[in-house]
Amino acid sequence: MPAKLVVEGLTHHYPDEYTGESVHALEKINLEVDEGELVTVVGPSGCGKSTLLNILAGLLPYREGIASVDGVQISGPGSDRGVVFQEHAILPWRSVAKNIGHGLEIKGMAKEEREARVKDFVDLVGLSGFEDKYPHELSGGMKQRCAVARTLCADPVIMLMDEPFAAVDAQTRITLQEELNRIAIATKKTIMFITHAVDEAAFLGDRCFVFSARPGRLKAIVNINIPRERRIWADMNADEEFVSSRDEILRLVREEVSVAVEE
Amino acid sequence: MLSRSNLNRLAAFWRHFPAANAVNLTLIIIGIMLVWLLISNTIENPARYLPSPIQVVLSSFDMIYKGLLPSYFGDTITRLVVGSSIGLALGIPFGLLLGLNRTVADMFYPMMNFFQSVSGIAIFPIVVVWWGNSDKTVLAVILYTSFFPIAFTVLSGVREVPLRYIHAARTLGASRYQIIRDVLLPGSMPHIATGSRLSIGFAWRAVIAGEMLAGREGLGWMIFTGQDADKTSEVILGMVMIGVSWIILDHYLLRPFEADTIERWGLVQR
Repeated sequence: MPAKLVVEGLTHHYPDEYTGESVHALEKINLEVDEGELVTVVGPSGCGKSTLLNILAGLLPYREGIASVDGVQISGPGSDRGVVFQEHAILPWRSVAKNIGHGLEIKGMAKEEREARVKDFVDLVGLSGFEDKYPHELSGGMKQRCAVARTLCADPVIMLMDEPFAAVDAQTRITLQEELNRIAIATKKTIMFITHAVDEAAFLGDRCFVFSARPGRLKAIVNINIPRERRIWADMNADEEFVSSRDEILRLVREEVSVAVEE
Repeated sequence: MLSRSNLNRLAAFWRHFPAANAVNLTLIIIGIMLVWLLISNTIENPARYLPSPIQVVLSSFDMIYKGLLPSYFGDTITRLVVGSSIGLALGIPFGLLLGLNRTVADMFYPMMNFFQSVSGIAIFPIVVVWWGNSDKTVLAVILYTSFFPIAFTVLSGVREVPLRYIHAARTLGASRYQIIRDVLLPGSMPHIATGSRLSIGFAWRAVIAGEMLAGREGLGWMIFTGQDADKTSEVILGMVMIGVSWIILDHYLLRPFEADTIERWGLVQR
């Protein structure tokens, strides 16, 4: 089966916001994400992982290399690639239900069909009873659940997640990670999840792509062979596979952090 | 003992009653009335220089009885509504257009800044040359006055819609039109509400000035002719009407609209 997402020889430079100097963000990235797979991307800050996500989302034009979803080259934003942003990206003037149904509204789906579908996703992310609330009435964790539901409801080929749980408190983060795991089982969605947290990368990923310090290269791929059903935080510290994968990722990332510091 | 903290606690307690503000306001008004009464009773020729509140109330009865006050009031309000509605109806889309397109904005911005500085009163003479002392003249000045504040606030409103909302909509597959409809327009609603309130406030002053200068019947005209006819009590009555009407309009119509838009979306903390 061909991969859902293919990136080949992707190299990217952009001008620095203040100095105008060219920043070499990504260097010859080659990677593939298979159908139904959840891959995590981890690396030191400034390794270009967010740049990669923005390119894949179609928000950032690229010149060198190829990036395609289902064989179609990426040339701008599209509903085949859903994005969950870091925070505060659900629309404050739309209720939870209206936010979740926004993608379907954009596609022009009839109201009744849309509402039925929205209800499924409200239930999926555990926001039942909050359909008519506005974002400012929700906690940080609930906002991100709403954001995940909004993306999934539009039924993208792949869901791109840009450090979506970075801004919530530690307890909520653990819950959200377990929820996302459950959602991955339930929807079999292809997901690329960007994070700087090694624990998170090991807990969620079928595979973890470790990026090097700038310019970002794909330094290593760590396989994490734990069945999704077994991924529960309470059991993870006793899970040899989890501990060894996490330590491996940690070792790889720390090498890069020390490189970045020495520079 | 009535210490400072006790006073504060009393004040906080007092605020729990909706009627408390009304009571405070009444006390202040009564205080002003008393001072006013005192002054007008001590000066010479108060009828000319400062008629007492009682005389003003009496003259209001007279004006209402003759039907003049309701008619003037109606004229002024009508001009405000018509003039500022047209001003907003033109200014909002214009501000949106400028907010959406940087090239258009750069093109028009210096011109807008120029006209913004030439106040409604300053364009009055030339408009009188064109259309004489007519209703059209007054309306043109109101329209002109209300147009710029709303256009400027809507322009900045559109620009201040966070980029991440636009990105979110684009990744959901939104077209440019859908982004305007679902993101930029609602995202600038708080600015549209604030700008409208500001514009109508400026328009209210322009109506009064316009009526005085163009000699059209209304509250502005009433205070202007009151002075000519040496009826100072009518001048003061007109001033009070202008202020009170604005407070009522602002408090019961404009501010609730603004607060509702902003608060419901949680764009600012309550």
